[in-house]
Amino acid sequence: MSAIEISNLSFVYSPKTPNEKQALKNINLSVEEGTFLGIVGATGSGKSTLIQHLNGLIKPQDKKRMSVVVNGMSAADRKTLKKLRFEVGMVFQYPEYQLFEDTVAKDVAFGPKNMKLEKDEIDRRVRRALEVVGLDYDKFAIRSPFDLSGGEKRRVAIAGVIAMQPKILVLDEPVAGLDPIGRKEILALVKKLQKEVSPTVIIVSHNMDDMAELADRIVALKDGEIIADGTPKRVFCNRRLIKEAGLDLPTATSLTDMLISRGVKLPNDIVTMAELARELGAALRRKLSVSASEEYEDREDFKEYDGGCGSEYDDRYEAGGCEYGEASDEGEERWDGEDENV
Amino acid sequence: MSDFQIEIKGVSYSYPVREGYNVKAVKNLSLNIRKGEFVALTGMNGSGKSTLAKLLNGLFQPKEGEILIDGISTADESNMFEIRKKVGMVFQNPDNQTVATIIEDDIAFGPENIGVEREEIIRRVDEALEAVGMSEYRTRTTSKLSGGQKQRIAIAGVLAMKPDIIILDESTAMLDPNGRKEIMEVACRLNKSGITVVNITHNMEEAALADRIVVLRKGRIAIDGTPKEVFASGLIEACGLTLPPITELSRALAEEGFVFDGVVISDEELAEGICRLLK
Amino acid sequence: MFKDVAFGQYYPVNSPVHRLDARVKLLLTILFVVSIFFIRTYFGFMLTAAVLLVTILLARLPILSVLKSVRGILLIVAITAIINLFFIKEGEVLVQSGAIVITKTGVHTTIKMVLRLVLLISGASLLSLTTTPVQLADGLESLMAPLKLVRVPVRDIAMIMSIALRFIPTLFEETNKIIAAQKARGASFDTGGLLSRVKAMLPVLIPLFVNSFRRADELAFAMDARCYNATDKRTKMKKAKLGFGDLAAVLFIAGYFTVILLERYYFPTVGINIDVAIFGGLL
Repeated sequence: MSAIEISNLSFVYSPKTPNEKQALKNINLSVEEGTFLGIVGATGSGKSTLIQHLNGLIKPQDKKRMSVVVNGMSAADRKTLKKLRFEVGMVFQYPEYQLFEDTVAKDVAFGPKNMKLEKDEIDRRVRRALEVVGLDYDKFAIRSPFDLSGGEKRRVAIAGVIAMQPKILVLDEPVAGLDPIGRKEILALVKKLQKEVSPTVIIVSHNMDDMAELADRIVALKDGEIIADGTPKRVFCNRRLIKEAGLDLPTATSLTDMLISRGVKLPNDIVTMAELARELGAALRRKLSVSASEEYEDREDFKEYDGGCGSEYDDRYEAGGCEYGEASDEGEERWDGEDENV
Repeated sequence: MSDFQIEIKGVSYSYPVREGYNVKAVKNLSLNIRKGEFVALTGMNGSGKSTLAKLLNGLFQPKEGEILIDGISTADESNMFEIRKKVGMVFQNPDNQTVATIIEDDIAFGPENIGVEREEIIRRVDEALEAVGMSEYRTRTTSKLSGGQKQRIAIAGVLAMKPDIIILDESTAMLDPNGRKEIMEVACRLNKSGITVVNITHNMEEAALADRIVVLRKGRIAIDGTPKEVFASGLIEACGLTLPPITELSRALAEEGFVFDGVVISDEELAEGICRLLK
Repeated sequence: MFKDVAFGQYYPVNSPVHRLDARVKLLLTILFVVSIFFIRTYFGFMLTAAVLLVTILLARLPILSVLKSVRGILLIVAITAIINLFFIKEGEVLVQSGAIVITKTGVHTTIKMVLRLVLLISGASLLSLTTTPVQLADGLESLMAPLKLVRVPVRDIAMIMSIALRFIPTLFEETNKIIAAQKARGASFDTGGLLSRVKAMLPVLIPLFVNSFRRADELAFAMDARCYNATDKRTKMKKAKLGFGDLAAVLFIAGYFTVILLERYYFPTVGINIDVAIFGGLL
């Protein structure tokens, strides 16, 4: 079952004024439950507008033609709006700037209270949420959120969303402004949350290394349009497209390109550092064993590797990208994550 | 006069967090920086790096010890504005450091404050905008700019005071990767033109661009040296930081049997080590 | 909730009105606002509207941008209109149904009241649309300069004003972000009675205040670092020089003001006759 189903979604800010700006153009997107989806795109590419549609903070401008359906609920439907918001937990950028209560426990309880839960259940959820994000309940519950360190504040803010036990968790740049240790901890936390609380996770990020590492599927936006959609390997395969979208390649991918250009034989679909280290290690071992046995042959094994990101792939990919803007019913031709339609 | 442009001599600084409870942010810290150096000052949150930055231009006063800028003490009230003219500072949040709505007005704010003549202000605004590559934005409003552009305007506002030293106090922390690149390019360019740059950051790739890295831990200097020395020290993790991805990768490759000349901090060095064995 | 913040937003185009000296614009705006209270006849309103229209055209502003600022006070206009319409009992009765009485005088007073408010706000918004906050603050500082003699911190006041104007868009943006975040946690701001609505705003207002203090702190550091208050001999990049345009503007508005005054005090019948000639029996 797909958790999110978006069709024909477009959005224009300040329509019919001199400041008119098209933020989204004909977005079609369906996300399976259990997916870890990364949304990437340069600043102003429509990422925030897109995610705010998921819980009805922004409503589709044309209800007849466009639709956003989350867990069977239309985001345009006023009756289910509240329920929708509790099912889609949204952690905005710098969420610590939205803390407001005088104690951590009260702040985390804000969501569950709005859900009109029983007091016992609220307490249980607050306790659980704090523990999941790694804050000791007894130590933190009665402290003022304003006295905490930056990293702790962010955890409290995330706990405030987790306490609603959302089925889908959306995070906008969750590690922005944190130091390296803080980044690692929060990313590990997000993974843990997917396992324990919200099976579907959507992250908006500029950090391609993180995305390559964590996401099952990446959607790349440019000027409000989806220009690439698939596994990290597939999305980062099309270097030109990623560059045109104003994005970086993962460090591992650009290093791979650099090494290939210097004559090192590597598959060109490497996206994580671990993978690059593994491939280089394997290449070294092969080389050593080859030179040991003096056995030179055409490296058949490399053609196999190329399969991930060969030239034919690129062509298909670009074609898909180009058709995008014009055709409205290219749903079949479109390129989706590997784990779709299975 | 001494060889050093910035001399930090046994400086301590603490501030109250709650009643009767002080946090010692900087502890008996000594550090010298030469004119024209490009120094990255790094450390995890709470290591005291931002406090040190504010000590450098007299926004904070040392509780113990002293700081000399070109031989002038920052504790000397009568020299306070002399110091602030010499030591320009760019802060973290691009939205909280512009005072004016129109870009040229904002850049003129500093020179106006120190009583620079009108024609000279106009000349400086021109030069400053040129230096950060934003000349065509002169009469536009600040609110419509990207984060990177806003920070470039903040740098221009500091340049218009003709500083000898520029401190970037986590000025790239809130920017996207493109904004980061813009700011680092500008910083490198300014450093080449002779300005001393102190870049406070916890991004290690950025730190690796400096000539020298100073790592703080709990208000003290933990490591001080060239990027290579610092990354080779084996103390980075203990300071709550991480190695740059490329250095990390070279470590993993060393375990696979690759050999590198010392610590790898550039693509070039990595490629050399790999090609040596694989080609 | 706060979709547009039109009022107070400088509209950057190069026009004769934009180029006017801020002090002149400030004084002329005051004169214009005062003039509105001397108007009695529809002729006066038409003349004022014409003056406003000419200024808007000269300023190369889209009319919409001026009307937008009026939108901000629609509620006040509506309330004033209703009060006038239903509570004025003099004059010829037009509608009577139970307790509701609408009279001809009531209708006319209401129309004039609405016109007055709309013209007032449009006129005032012209000032902020064509003058940057810094120019405005400088102009004010220069006009208030005599107060320095009695130790009024004129420069600080001007600075505070200009910073307040500079931060309006930032704070609105921030408010919208916080509202979105709290809504995402199930907060609702548009249900319940007045008290519960005010209470519902707390999760927005508290972070807004906390963040504003943080911003103020950082801004203070940034200003200090750039030598604010370093010297009493602060210079100005933009020297205000009175030019031909300023003279023309003064003559234009002063002329208009004279006509309004003459019409009211010396030729009271002229305006009324023109009104009658145009609207006839409606009056």
